[in-house]
Amino acid sequence: MLSLQRRAMLAGSAGLLAAPSIARAQPVKPRLTAISQWSAGSDGAAITALGKKFEERGGVWQHSPVPGFTTDMMNKLRAQIMSGDPPACSQLKGPEIAAWSKIAPTVDLDAIVAAAGYEKVVSPDLARLHKPGGKWAALPLQVYRTNALYLSKRALDRAKADKLPTTWAEFNALAEKMKSGGVAHPVANGGARPDDGQKFEAALAGISPTAYRAAIMQLDAKALNGPEVRAAFAQVRKIADWMDPNTAAQHYSTHLAPFIAGDMGMMIQGGWAQGVLLNAGFKLDDFIIAPGPTDNGKPVFLLNADAFIFWQRKEADLQAGQKLMAELVMDPAIQTMYSQITGSIPVRSDVDLSGPGWSDGQRETASTLKGAIAADQAVLSLAHNMAQENGMTAAMIDVITEFVKNRAITPEQGAKRLAEAVEGAR
Amino acid sequence: MTARSALAGSRRLAEYLVIWVPLLLSAGHVVLFTAWTTWMSFTPSTLLPVNGWVGWRNYTSVLGTRNWQIAFDNLLLFGAGFVILTALTGLLLAILLDQRMRGENLLRSIFLYPMAVSFVVTGTVWSWLLNPGMGIQKLVNDWGWTGFRFDWLIDRDMAIWTIVIAGIWQSSGFAMALFLAGLRSVDGDLIKAAQIDGAGPIRTYTRVILPTLWPIAVAVLVILLQFAIKTFDLVRALTGGGPGLATQLPALVVYDFMFQRGHIGRGSAAAVLMLLTLLFVLVPYGGWKIYQQRRAARG
Amino acid sequence: MGDARASLARTLIYAAAVLLAIAYLVPLAVVVLNSVRSAEEIAQTSMIGWPRAWAFGNYGTAWSEFCIAQTCTGIRPYMLNSALVTVPATVLSTLLGAVAGYAISLWRFRGHAWIFGLVTLGVFLPEQMRLIPWTIVLRDVGLTNTLTGLVMIHTVQGLSFTTLFCRNYYLSIPQDLMKAARIDGAGFFRIFARIVLPLSPPILIVTVIWQFTHIWNEFLYGVTFTTGTQQPITAALIALSASVADIPQHGVQSAAVTIAALPTLLVYLFGGRYFVRGLTAGAVK
Repeated sequence: MLSLQRRAMLAGSAGLLAAPSIARAQPVKPRLTAISQWSAGSDGAAITALGKKFEERGGVWQHSPVPGFTTDMMNKLRAQIMSGDPPACSQLKGPEIAAWSKIAPTVDLDAIVAAAGYEKVVSPDLARLHKPGGKWAALPLQVYRTNALYLSKRALDRAKADKLPTTWAEFNALAEKMKSGGVAHPVANGGARPDDGQKFEAALAGISPTAYRAAIMQLDAKALNGPEVRAAFAQVRKIADWMDPNTAAQHYSTHLAPFIAGDMGMMIQGGWAQGVLLNAGFKLDDFIIAPGPTDNGKPVFLLNADAFIFWQRKEADLQAGQKLMAELVMDPAIQTMYSQITGSIPVRSDVDLSGPGWSDGQRETASTLKGAIAADQAVLSLAHNMAQENGMTAAMIDVITEFVKNRAITPEQGAKRLAEAVEGAR
Repeated sequence: MTARSALAGSRRLAEYLVIWVPLLLSAGHVVLFTAWTTWMSFTPSTLLPVNGWVGWRNYTSVLGTRNWQIAFDNLLLFGAGFVILTALTGLLLAILLDQRMRGENLLRSIFLYPMAVSFVVTGTVWSWLLNPGMGIQKLVNDWGWTGFRFDWLIDRDMAIWTIVIAGIWQSSGFAMALFLAGLRSVDGDLIKAAQIDGAGPIRTYTRVILPTLWPIAVAVLVILLQFAIKTFDLVRALTGGGPGLATQLPALVVYDFMFQRGHIGRGSAAAVLMLLTLLFVLVPYGGWKIYQQRRAARG
Repeated sequence: MGDARASLARTLIYAAAVLLAIAYLVPLAVVVLNSVRSAEEIAQTSMIGWPRAWAFGNYGTAWSEFCIAQTCTGIRPYMLNSALVTVPATVLSTLLGAVAGYAISLWRFRGHAWIFGLVTLGVFLPEQMRLIPWTIVLRDVGLTNTLTGLVMIHTVQGLSFTTLFCRNYYLSIPQDLMKAARIDGAGFFRIFARIVLPLSPPILIVTVIWQFTHIWNEFLYGVTFTTGTQQPITAALIALSASVADIPQHGVQSAAVTIAALPTLLVYLFGGRYFVRGLTAGAVK
């Protein structure tokens, strides 16, 4: 295994010196087997564009999308690993990178990352997730914010609101004004588990990023039983009361029409919702994207990042393909292309977003991320499997989703159940 | 002579192969997979199966979760509700179709077609129809009956019945086909005799025809029971297991722990617990079969 | 008087049948209507509704145009993949199940009850539980990521159902018939070919319908044990579902679902009559 790694590294460093045109003349043609769940819509379009770039650089692109839930993709990955035939590269994110890197050998990307100077332009919290055991094994590709606040222009008009809410108190006041102004449901929402999780994480991180870090990311028992978590549950109760109770398990896009019409007021959603709104035929003038509420005056950013993990392969062409893929993923031009298709922002903090291909929402997201990192308030999303391994995440979301759907559970009980669930899943 | 016995021998071998290879493959995979899963339930396996021994830890862990407790209660409720109501609906449809109606072929096809549709599609369509904001309730409200409520889908206590409704829609046609087959094979003389005795149509059914359907009813119940135990896609598409955790079922918990939460040990423990619940039904059924056979043997 | 009552009863029966038929058809109507509505229209109104503009183009898109990542072929090739798995697995499991059911019910070899019990138990095992064991089996027999592997899985698992159905059906063949044939010197295969098989069409149709539908609609194994363009139709349908980052393509998806359901619907429509007839002949003891 050691010799295999060394060979991979040698192959890697040899490739580094070679210009792309020479790489094409090399005896092995880079080839990449990849699996991801990105099959349709903008996700499918973005990864296909990445594949085109890979082919332009002389590579053979063999991407097998695994449609369905993330779990289906993981089942596929598990089956491939058990058969001794892992893909050269697969989609994986958050702490699952560390967990999965224990069950099969991954490629040591340190040399390639160092050569690209990637570490300097990735936020430290994010970098840590992709370096299990201190070595780069995976590369983040794009970043989403999960606590963006979408506001309906027509609902704002009905509420006669003159400014956007920046704190939870202002959010609550605006929601009340919307309600009395005739907005049927001040908060538009989806009914899936991550939707409920997103409301909780936005509440807790907005109330106190420090408490969020301690309770959710570090699972500190004291923080889990602290007043901030109770306050977050109380805020989630308010949000839940403003939501349309009829949503059941529907996708949040069910409510886009009433949201734009002003019958629903605000959405707490990820950056992806902008593209979804535009694809549904709505206009940028119909809504506003703002940072999620934060009570301490400094920006809070809930990070969600998609990444690729690289699995060790003996074949020379696959190794060359992995190297080429790694270079592409870290390339600012590729990240620009990718994010402009999906509506995310680049992982690299040094990409200039002033060009015409970027939207105001993306620019605001990127600058909020910078501010949040500077204030040490960029934290990892629980709802989107960035803060904890899937087992722990699911146990915590169980509590949150039951709390959202059941008015009889008090914030105190919610906090208590959350702490118990964490203990049970440890 | 020798050639003939060689031929007989090879025919004998072929018989053995044809009989035993499929049977052993089928029975073997049931035994081996169940044994393997049971073994896994005592190991610390997470993302990949590994060997090791953790005793009952996976069981206590699974039994301690609300997910399992809710799923187990739901299985009893859903299992009984789905199996009984689907069988009754199927019987009703069969009796209806047995009235020598015009268009019987068409009607039979209409009641049977849901069986051809995948559970994912069934779940998705019913998640729209049963959604109070866009489905039946909204339609009736829009017609002017604004007080009408049909919001089981968002009611924690009633949500499990929405899965029963979708399940009935999907499977009652199958029960109907079985019952109809039974009704059609009832001895015509029996019915005539009852009619000569002056029994009305309802009396003829309850006293003469339905009692002959018992063996079919048992077959229907077994087929529906395996649907009930394995219900998975339907719930994922219809309620996503919610509101909250209200419509969890054992098959979902097995999948959730084993794959979503990346804990093969706990998922296997849940699977074993689920198979054990099945024994509560299968053991009495097996007893009934043996009793029946003994009775038949006695003549 | 009696006539009036009888005709009233008749009317009620017809009314009940028509109402129930409408109720059973509503979900189909919702899907078919959505299949001719645009995604935008559905997003801006509701999942249930009458088309404002008829988007018949959804069918063309679904059949041969929409993309799953880099492959823009619609559902056409995936339909073929599903057929390549479903047809052989259905035929194999039905034939083997018929022989097994025949052996168990009419030859009653030693231990037939035990082995039948175990085989039948297979109908109750959830497929989620069998996923990892099958992964190991596929690896060990070298059939990972092949359609042959899927055929093998569905054949072995399907045997539980087909053996159950056939065994119960063959129980109704009188033992006297068997005895007579054996006295005439007929062996295992000869009796099967001359006596049992000619009686079997009804039950074979039942098992074919059952197996075809289940294998055609199967998703979990299909998506885990195949790769890329080998995937079955169910995987292609799921690819059209919404991820968090996309507007659901309900229009094209409904069209795709409608096309994808045609083979099973046709099997039921044409087989439905025999289905009832086959069960009549005693499949259900």
